[in-house]
Amino acid sequence: MSEETNEAVQEPVQEPASPAAKAPSEQRALGLAFAGWILPGLGHALQRMWGRALIVFVSVGLLVAVGVSMRGNIFSSRGNDAFDTLGYMADLGTGSFYFVARALERSGTDVAHANGDYGTRFLATAGVLNLLAALHAYEAARGRKA
Amino acid sequence: MNHMRELVLSHFQAFLLFAAVISLAFGFLGRRQPKDRIKYILWSFFLFLVVGIGIGWAMYPFSR
Repeated sequence: MSEETNEAVQEPVQEPASPAAKAPSEQRALGLAFAGWILPGLGHALQRMWGRALIVFVSVGLLVAVGVSMRGNIFSSRGNDAFDTLGYMADLGTGSFYFVARALERSGTDVAHANGDYGTRFLATAGVLNLLAALHAYEAARGRKA
Repeated sequence: MNHMRELVLSHFQAFLLFAAVISLAFGFLGRRQPKDRIKYILWSFFLFLVVGIGIGWAMYPFSR
């Protein structure tokens, strides 16, 4: 078989996607991650991953509610040291729930007792879990995770 | 907005609640099929318990 015949049979080679073609997908994925950060579960809901959206929303919401109820420390941006700043960043990971937590917290924190200290951990965990979920929404939008 | 009533949990109750919620979230995020999810949730919860109680016992000699 000649080379000409071989070339005729071969399927057309697809051109690799240009950076410009990739951009909307990347922007969409970033947008979904941002949405997931602002409202826990929204990044998955917009991709019609209803079960994951519900679980992320309920898990993060429950951890925040329990953390506040246990009088955990909700860190503010006016921290005194690096640990306060880290705590603030973790708490801010809950997105809009951070402001809900601040609104719900009226009797102050009580980290002098173990209960309040556990509450602080619950709040930080809620933030980190939501950031993980937002990252998962990003990866799912990019087609790297199902 | 009214403030929430204070919730008082023992160390073990807080530990169980934490392990259950995180295991559930990990299972749903990490696995796609329902059967895989259940297995992953149970396994993750079990490991939380084993590691948590193990670390607790490991620290026991230094607690007093």
